[in-house]
Amino acid sequence: MLYELVQSTVSGLLIGAAFAVLSVGFSLTWGVTQVLNIAHAAFALLAAYLGYFASSYFQVDPVLVLVVIVPLFFVLGVGIHQVLIKITAQRAHDLALSSMILTFGLAVVMENVMQVLWTPDPRVLKTSYTGKAIFVGPIAIATTHLISFVLAMLTIALLYVFVHHTLTGKAVRAVWQNPTGAALSGVNMGRVTNITYGIAVATAGIGGVVMSLIYTFDPSTDMVWLVYIFLVVILGGVGSVLGALLAGLIIGLTVGISGVFIPLVWVNLVLFLALILLLLLRPSGLLQR
Amino acid sequence: MLTVQNLNVFYGSLQALHDVSLEVREGEFVTLIGSNGAGKTTLLRTISGLLAPASGEITFRGERLNGLSTHDICERGLIQVPEGRELFPRMSVVDNLDIGAYPPPARRQRLQSREEVFRLLPRLEERRNQDAGTLSGGEQQMLAIGRALMARPSLLMLDEPSLGLAPILVKHIMEILQELNRQGLTILLVSQEVRLALSLADRAYVLENGRIIRSGTGRELLADTGIVSAYLGL
Repeated sequence: MLYELVQSTVSGLLIGAAFAVLSVGFSLTWGVTQVLNIAHAAFALLAAYLGYFASSYFQVDPVLVLVVIVPLFFVLGVGIHQVLIKITAQRAHDLALSSMILTFGLAVVMENVMQVLWTPDPRVLKTSYTGKAIFVGPIAIATTHLISFVLAMLTIALLYVFVHHTLTGKAVRAVWQNPTGAALSGVNMGRVTNITYGIAVATAGIGGVVMSLIYTFDPSTDMVWLVYIFLVVILGGVGSVLGALLAGLIIGLTVGISGVFIPLVWVNLVLFLALILLLLLRPSGLLQR
Repeated sequence: MLTVQNLNVFYGSLQALHDVSLEVREGEFVTLIGSNGAGKTTLLRTISGLLAPASGEITFRGERLNGLSTHDICERGLIQVPEGRELFPRMSVVDNLDIGAYPPPARRQRLQSREEVFRLLPRLEERRNQDAGTLSGGEQQMLAIGRALMARPSLLMLDEPSLGLAPILVKHIMEILQELNRQGLTILLVSQEVRLALSLADRAYVLENGRIIRSGTGRELLADTGIVSAYLGL
């Protein structure tokens, strides 16, 4: 029992970091523009497929494919903002609601395109290190989990440095705390929101590859991932990088540890009970003062 | 330096400004007074590009500002300290100041500007790592002024900087503005501290129901019993 508990704590933490990187971009765009980008997980899923096909057809490691995915998805994010969000923002009375419906539509379109292109079959990523593990004493750590953890933590750390220690990053925080104050300080709002979307969708790409190292996926998996994203963002508080990390780890631990005591299908029930409790007790997240 | 000509601004079908014209010359201290809802904030927000005028022209140093976005206007050295301060509450004093230096012309001189702001407003240096949201009202107002100065403005517009502050702080803030003006900064001040604001002003305008109804030197308006009784309730 103790062995299982330690083992699941370790793997829970590793999975939690993946949840965090999957969610942090969603939190950013929500914070900065009041847009709930439902398609965020669909972009992650697209990246998972790109990584999958690169490794199965060209024998390229999916982690290396990120060299292409990250800049490509950055441009995609800027495009989404310029083409869809900006125009909606100019015309809609309630941006949160209309953008939610808009990006939900986008997610459905993306899911169907992926289904047509790549069939509804569930995919399992096979890399040169799949099935291998590192042993720390009796505890086994799957190499895929370890690589996804390192990648996720590295992304979160870079994002934290960007948001807290660069002028553009500070401007991103300024816009989400007070758009009027930011505009009157001379912040170029269009540029800052473009960068926010670029970074958000790029981290969704990393999140997708990281998740595909741990879980199987099919063209409708994005809705499952979206549930994790909502949990992380609500628990961590909107627009907080550290909050997303902390919340991701907590949710990973919850998934890992409750899996020891109850059947796996019940784990989501535990998560949602926790969410209801959280919304009742700390509606603006753990780290919010 | 700043010229506003026949400006008309609407909120939907409601007209907030009627044919407003005013001028601020280089080096001047100009005050705009008027009761609540007269359109003072609307005027400043329009000059800063947050609101689009229906007609009229705003020029700054000979260049037409109509249609420029707020950050373009800031880049030209026309900076506003907005009503209600509009700070970033969960960012430190230093980070708030850094954002003030966002316009590219000010960016290179960020550290030097910060030193100058700390010299003028030493209280901010004492609080440098504290979140803006935890400062007192007076400190927040100083931070709002400091943030605006970080942009190295040539014309500083202030919207009710003394609102809700204790009389001693009001006096302190007015002294700071006077000192900045003496150092060569052009100032357009909107204030309800009529007597104090008029006594500092080279020239002043009175805005009433969206129209400029009176203008003159600060001393002239201060001597006008009608104005003093209307806005001081004497």
